[in-house]
Amino acid sequence: MATLVKKVELNWLDRTYVWPVFMGMVITMRHFLKQITTRSSKRFTIPYPDRKRTPAAGYRGLHELKRFEDGSIKCVACFMCAEACPARCITIEAEEYGDINKTQGFEEKRPSVFKIDMLRCIYCAMCEEACPKDAIWLRTDYEQASYGRLSMQFGKWDLMNTYADQDGKARITEDPTPTVPHQSIQN
Amino acid sequence: MEYLASLLHLMPETFWMIVKVLIVFLGPLTLAALLTWGERRGSAMIQDRIGPNRALLFGRWRLLGLPQLAADGIKFFLKEDLVPADASPLLFWLAPVMAFVPAMMGFAIIPFGRSFTQNGHTYHLSLLDPGNGMGMLYPLAIGAVAVYGILTAAWSSNNKWSILGGMRSSAQMVSYEIAMSLAVIAVFMRTGGYDPQQIIAAQAGLWNVFPQALGFLVFFICMFAETNRLPFDFAEGESEIVAGFHTEYGSMKFALLQLSEYVHIVTASALVITLFFGGWAVPFLADPPVLLSVVCFALKLVFFCWVFIWVRWTIPRFRYDQLMFLGWKVMLPLSLGNLLLQAFLMHRGA
Repeated sequence: MATLVKKVELNWLDRTYVWPVFMGMVITMRHFLKQITTRSSKRFTIPYPDRKRTPAAGYRGLHELKRFEDGSIKCVACFMCAEACPARCITIEAEEYGDINKTQGFEEKRPSVFKIDMLRCIYCAMCEEACPKDAIWLRTDYEQASYGRLSMQFGKWDLMNTYADQDGKARITEDPTPTVPHQSIQN
Repeated sequence: MEYLASLLHLMPETFWMIVKVLIVFLGPLTLAALLTWGERRGSAMIQDRIGPNRALLFGRWRLLGLPQLAADGIKFFLKEDLVPADASPLLFWLAPVMAFVPAMMGFAIIPFGRSFTQNGHTYHLSLLDPGNGMGMLYPLAIGAVAVYGILTAAWSSNNKWSILGGMRSSAQMVSYEIAMSLAVIAVFMRTGGYDPQQIIAAQAGLWNVFPQALGFLVFFICMFAETNRLPFDFAEGESEIVAGFHTEYGSMKFALLQLSEYVHIVTASALVITLFFGGWAVPFLADPPVLLSVVCFALKLVFFCWVFIWVRWTIPRFRYDQLMFLGWKVMLPLSLGNLLLQAFLMHRGA
């Protein structure tokens, strides 16, 4: 493809280079004065540990596993997220719970293990899109550094409590209803 | 003055000499150190950044990032003093000194305030008293020596990038020194002498920058070349030759090379002020108090140092052939033309 070279005819003033350089200095000085008179909170640069950026509404940060008001997990262990995940970082093991199965003959399902390998996760929010129950959300937390690889393996209770403090919810470490023993399904 | 001298059992002249040595040595050095801060913060502001502001004094005071200077200094002192295996150890060690000493020496001739008389003694505010016979030729000579430091640093480190930088820098200095000297000679001609006090006195009515605008322009541009500053920083040229002449330098030796560049800026600013902006003279004030004249000189000095920084962050670097073109085919004819013009005007009696 032929490229069109645009030739600029400089007038005599521009050809001295002194005047354009001076105009350039005016521009840099304008930037200087503008930046130096701008308050620190209004500048482009956010001085990070002192001041933190508020993520946009659609920001895809650290995941949260949602819960009902009684503290039971919304996830039904359908594996949709694990299937949708392009990075294959979600590991789910399902279990059954609830006493309803004894009378009605069917069981409620929930994950006994819900692991996300945060080192593998690419924060694409495909899991959030795939979830039929809106049980997994990617939210605003972007500060996920750690000193060890192991601490980047988030389990079910880690994921359920990621935003507990921020939302003013209680941290939970166990399901409100016990697991149904496995043999009950066998019968 | 005499009282202070008698406290130290010294002659007033000796005491005054010591004071002047301290001022002339520590003043540019302090200003150079502050310039590194000014350069980093100023460039940051020009580029809509913030710049270094994380170093805290005693873990508490931020002071606009000034503690960064101390932090850098401590870091430079504590770093390992590394000499490359192929380098020439003696020259490698000597080069920063050779760069630093001429940079410091240049300031000795500059009068940084009005001379004053006390108890029959006349005290001059310049390290070398007026009438020493060297005058403004002295900083030009010293400035020419400065290139040896850079060249030695480049050559002794036995690195191809370094030697390229050093060679380019020396070629550049030789090219621009001629134009610069001719611009200065025009000032000498107008003054009728080359003593700085004389030059400053001759600018009493009108600063040299107005009748000799062309000479000032040439001199100022050549000063950028002489100090190895952008847009003429061919000694360094980090986009082309790594870091140029100080590629192999680390720790305090690097700091010394870097500092000598900034001291050069201070000296160059002082030269510009003395030759074209009336030195310590205060505008619209015929006979200023000594302190005011010193303050005025300092203000002018800081302003021109800032211009050096300001220009650096405005203009991109020249190509090497462009530099040579500019030096030989533009600056030299302009400078010669200025000289001839001034000579013609003097002949006409203007």
